[in-house]
Amino acid sequence: MTSPALTDLQVAFHDHLLNLPSAISQEVSEGGRIGVDHRLHIYHNAYRARLLENLQDAYEKTWAYLGDETFESSALAFIEDNPPKHRNLRWHGAEFPQWLEKRFLEDLDIAELALIDWQLRLAFDGPDASPVQPAELAGLAAEDWASVGFQFAPTLFIAPIRFNSVAIWHALDQEQAPPAAESLPAPTWLLIWRKGWQPHFRTIQMVEHAALMQLQGGASFAQVCADLGEQFSDQEAASVAADSLRTWLQDEMIVGLTGMSA
Amino acid sequence: MPLSPLSAAIKKQSPGFGLGLRPVHYPDFLAQPQAVDWLEIISENYMVPGGKPLVMLDAILERYPVAMHGVSLSIGSTDGLDAVYLADLKALANHVQPMWVSDHLCWTGVQGRNAHDLLPLPYSEEALRLVVRHVNQVQDALGRRILLENVSSYLNYRSSEMSEWEFLRQVAEQADCLLLLDVNNIYVSGINHGFDPVEFLDHLPVDRVQQIHLAGHSDHGDYIVDTHDHPVAEPVWDLYRYTCARFGDVATMIERDDDIPALSVLIAELDRARAIAAETPGSGLQEVREAAL
Repeated sequence: MTSPALTDLQVAFHDHLLNLPSAISQEVSEGGRIGVDHRLHIYHNAYRARLLENLQDAYEKTWAYLGDETFESSALAFIEDNPPKHRNLRWHGAEFPQWLEKRFLEDLDIAELALIDWQLRLAFDGPDASPVQPAELAGLAAEDWASVGFQFAPTLFIAPIRFNSVAIWHALDQEQAPPAAESLPAPTWLLIWRKGWQPHFRTIQMVEHAALMQLQGGASFAQVCADLGEQFSDQEAASVAADSLRTWLQDEMIVGLTGMSA
Repeated sequence: MPLSPLSAAIKKQSPGFGLGLRPVHYPDFLAQPQAVDWLEIISENYMVPGGKPLVMLDAILERYPVAMHGVSLSIGSTDGLDAVYLADLKALANHVQPMWVSDHLCWTGVQGRNAHDLLPLPYSEEALRLVVRHVNQVQDALGRRILLENVSSYLNYRSSEMSEWEFLRQVAEQADCLLLLDVNNIYVSGINHGFDPVEFLDHLPVDRVQQIHLAGHSDHGDYIVDTHDHPVAEPVWDLYRYTCARFGDVATMIERDDDIPALSVLIAELDRARAIAAETPGSGLQEVREAAL
């Protein structure tokens, strides 16, 4: 069953909220202490205020970095470009980092900082998984060590970064003046995941990134060690592999073992 | 699941006086028992994959009876109900086993767009038919009666054919659902539209009012905005006194969403609601009306 008149009214109202041409004012009763335009403006204003507040909440460090005025003007422009389509408000703003990248082409550290804000929020209430305990690996049979692979935390996010946005984030977190934005000297990736209840992040370099990519692609740990052996001396390769594995276990990044005999 | 036929037992007994659960107060509620009889959660805050919110929710469920309150059902949108949202809501309700599930008598978006605001409906026969149909669908899906809350509003439509209270009453009776009376919203809308809040309350069916909301607002002189960032205002307390006299013992809670104070401050405010309810146990309606309003 359709409701043509009601649909037309709701579309006109929503168009008004979005600054689109709308005849909604003709549908609103006159009378009372404020006029029709003022009544409609209350909703027009509330729409933006609520979405702005949501972005301020989701992008707390980006807000602190840009300052009130620049953040607000950017967020309001983003809201005009990206009317919410999700049922749950928390998802509005998912595209804000990419949008900031286009708005601040000369200052890409801003979009990177926003990406950290957003991914930390995703990790905060992302899917649960129990971390593998070191004892489980220690107890593996020798034949299983030859084939074991790792399943990583479902919240794990890996992306390349080009600026010192992590240092900027930490400074803002401690309410200190952030360092000047600068390019990182070597290829670097950002790693975000949740340990316990708390989102964590750190940066990694090429060797660890390559190992993680291999493992996420289904390679065994033995294969990763063998590939490290091609780049480093046997002793160095063993040390790099052992250090990485210890860190992943301590950081609760590994949540499952794969490739083992039944 | 078919609902039981309309009966005197349609409404559950009041669990007493509650608060809206906000994350800033998790440590207080988990550290020691608080003088709060029950808590209302915002459903959408827990419709997430995992992490701390769900851990906190489970800890709260061990300690307090909980009601679920949503903001995204959009029961009055001509888009129809969102099946994914409804499935998520049902999954959460299965997990929480709440005292009841509520949302707002409004629409929040159309044509796949979402305003994330509680937008007013025209009080028309067409809107009534739409809402009743949607409430039936939700109640069938959840296997329980839902509560619908009156929203604060800032405009009326020319296409309205009845008063807000008549619309609310018709929805409740035709859809066989319950009502969540937001006393602050009645006051706010009364000022904004120039109606008498007492007339609003007098026309609602006593046996359908399961819960009461109290909250603060921002007074802009010519109009009032429902902001939930202040303590409950004096005229709203007066209206609550009248509400207690008319509706008797109804689960009452305070909502606070901005400038959230220490839990002790909210409990002190809740104690005022307790005291008012204790003074007016569903009798002496006329006296309360004359004295308070």
